[in-house]
Amino acid sequence: MSGPALVHPGSAEYPVGLHDLEEPPAIWLLGQLAEFSGVAVVGTRRCTRYGIDLAEGFGSAIARAGWTTVSGLARGIDAAAHRGCLRLSGHAVAVLGSGVDRCYPRENRAIYDQIIDTGGAIVSEYPPGTPPDRWRFPARNRIIAAMSAAVVVVEAAATGGALITARLGAELGRPVFVVPGDVDREMSEGCNRLIRDGAHPVFGSADLLEELSLVIGPPARVSDSDHGIPAQGVQVSELPALWSLSITESLVKLGRLELEGTVRRLGEFVVPS
Amino acid sequence: MYAATISVALVGGDVRPVEVQVHVGRQHDQFKLSGLPDPAVREAKDRVRAAVMSSGIAFPNRTVTVNLAPAHLPKSGTDFDLPIALGVLAASREIPHPGEAVVVGELALDGSVRSGASTIGAAVLSARWGMPCLVANGSASEVAAVPGARVHGVASLAEAVELLRTGLEHHPTAEPSHVGDRQGGDDLAEVRGQPLARRAIEIAAAGGHHLLLHGPPGGGKTMLARRLPGILPPLTESDAVEVALVHAAAGHMRGLSRTRPFRSPHHTASRAALVGGGSGVAVPGEVSLAHRGVLFIDEMAEFPRANLDTLRQPLEDGQVTVARRGITATFPSSFHLVAATNPCPCGYVGDRRKPCECRPAAVARYRQRVSGPLLDRFDLVVKVDRLEAAEASGPEPDPTAEVRRRVVAAHERLVDGPPASTIGAGELLRAALGNSLLTARGVDRVRRVAGTISALSGDDAVTEEHVAEAIALRADW
Repeated sequence: MSGPALVHPGSAEYPVGLHDLEEPPAIWLLGQLAEFSGVAVVGTRRCTRYGIDLAEGFGSAIARAGWTTVSGLARGIDAAAHRGCLRLSGHAVAVLGSGVDRCYPRENRAIYDQIIDTGGAIVSEYPPGTPPDRWRFPARNRIIAAMSAAVVVVEAAATGGALITARLGAELGRPVFVVPGDVDREMSEGCNRLIRDGAHPVFGSADLLEELSLVIGPPARVSDSDHGIPAQGVQVSELPALWSLSITESLVKLGRLELEGTVRRLGEFVVPS
Repeated sequence: MYAATISVALVGGDVRPVEVQVHVGRQHDQFKLSGLPDPAVREAKDRVRAAVMSSGIAFPNRTVTVNLAPAHLPKSGTDFDLPIALGVLAASREIPHPGEAVVVGELALDGSVRSGASTIGAAVLSARWGMPCLVANGSASEVAAVPGARVHGVASLAEAVELLRTGLEHHPTAEPSHVGDRQGGDDLAEVRGQPLARRAIEIAAAGGHHLLLHGPPGGGKTMLARRLPGILPPLTESDAVEVALVHAAAGHMRGLSRTRPFRSPHHTASRAALVGGGSGVAVPGEVSLAHRGVLFIDEMAEFPRANLDTLRQPLEDGQVTVARRGITATFPSSFHLVAATNPCPCGYVGDRRKPCECRPAAVARYRQRVSGPLLDRFDLVVKVDRLEAAEASGPEPDPTAEVRRRVVAAHERLVDGPPASTIGAGELLRAALGNSLLTARGVDRVRRVAGTISALSGDDAVTEEHVAEAIALRADW
């Protein structure tokens, strides 16, 4: 694989969306960045299991539609969105606050490598070798927002990078989708405030795909839906009721679908892939 | 003057003959006992003396020396009382030499004979050597069910003396009682809903697959596990003897029950309690007490990881060797492992109706408490939902008797090895390996489970359907 390349505004590889910024920066690129429809999935690092499951589901749903998941490779929601996307070998773009050769945080090295392996890209406006200084992170959020056709916020406190990304996205005219949360939970406060300020609440992967197809256009790929498993998944024990089959027949059908690769396991759930 | 009687010691899951050698000398009143007796054996001196006198027989006013041979084997328990007493009386020429008979029994001070844990051992030795055995009346008919054993029951030392004076061959042996197959109580039909878990437990029973049940509290994981012994075929005669011997080594008098053992150690159990230990003598642990039955590890993630990992060797080898001072004993440990666990510390991760309160890191840590190599042992891993969801659907569940009939039929089909695979089934497995759905080890597991499913269905071969179902039931925890 070739090393980091500098891409200037106006060149063929330059992400179209970045032209919307007041001063489009030149960006460093590791991997490939062909023409793509990106969706940003962002959220807090201090997330819950619920948030992780949702973000993974969104990442998978976006990949399944043939779009690209854009995020910041941070711990928590960012990493989960990347993981969900990569699980289906979808394209992912990670925008870093350090040089593209510096994987930060290091625990996400596997995701970093896989993004490049599956034809995605690592992007940064800072030259290779730049350390991951905290003050650079808010600035990279404007790149995440600008590269994407829409911004999805999964879990966010009242302050933090995810909120910045959402507000920058809104300023650039990108639709902002937000997962509503309990009013008394710290990690839902940012999300709920965004909704009050005019963001669209989103109720799960299927709902998100529907909303996104209004923004981006119909999904590049259409998934086979003959199994009737909703995007948010079902438990194995719920399959007999869903399919009106006996437990044995359901297990046989599930095994066949898994073999085909039409559905897959996500923790306790069976989800379409 | 010298006499010897034959008795028995329980060592590992087996019996060893013990020769009780008695010498009555010329010096004055003394009673010596050698041959690594534990305190209970040493106290035999007082019980024997009192019991002999209570039976109206004179106790020799001489030096009595008793040696339990082989002298290097540690002896324990009270079952040497009766052979010592008969040896003393034979050595002092009060009674004829007991000769060819295996003798066990604890003496009460009034001369009555009580049964101890070694009783089953005497019956086993009797059958093996083709000689009669003399045991306490109380459990004579119970152990008489050991195939080939000739068991004589006596209520007291006086009765034992009488039997030997007239000759054992002139007395009838004890009638074997039918301990039978008490399967009553917990019926599988009582488990409402849970068709997935019931299917999994049936497959587990039919193929001897280790089973992991996970899910939130209140789903009935424990209820299900307790019903597994009931759907297994009853113990065979020889298995019942094997099981009884192991339990006897732990001091339990189980008789020759055909009911499969069900052991459920608490998560605070020590490693010695799990795999075996004891001081001085080797005592079997839970893995051996569950031999030929079910070892249920409830709240698996609450067990210290090091303790769980001690289960791996017995699982692998079907036996466990316990080394203790003076003796190394090997106990059988072929058990059927069923484990249950919450999915996370609070129990509700993945639950639709109740939020999980655990941090993701805490969930990951919780799951890591069970080591990968142990998780690999579970061929079947299923989620057990809370009842309110599962209850609503599904037909009337099959009762234990019905499920057991199918399981027994499957066992019979599997006796000659797993059924052959159709070409399609083989292709399916290769495809699963090819698209990374399964690892090589996963393919092995799926193949085994598919064989069992095929046997349960009564088909002649493993078909694509059987493989597909096995794939759906594979480990995903």
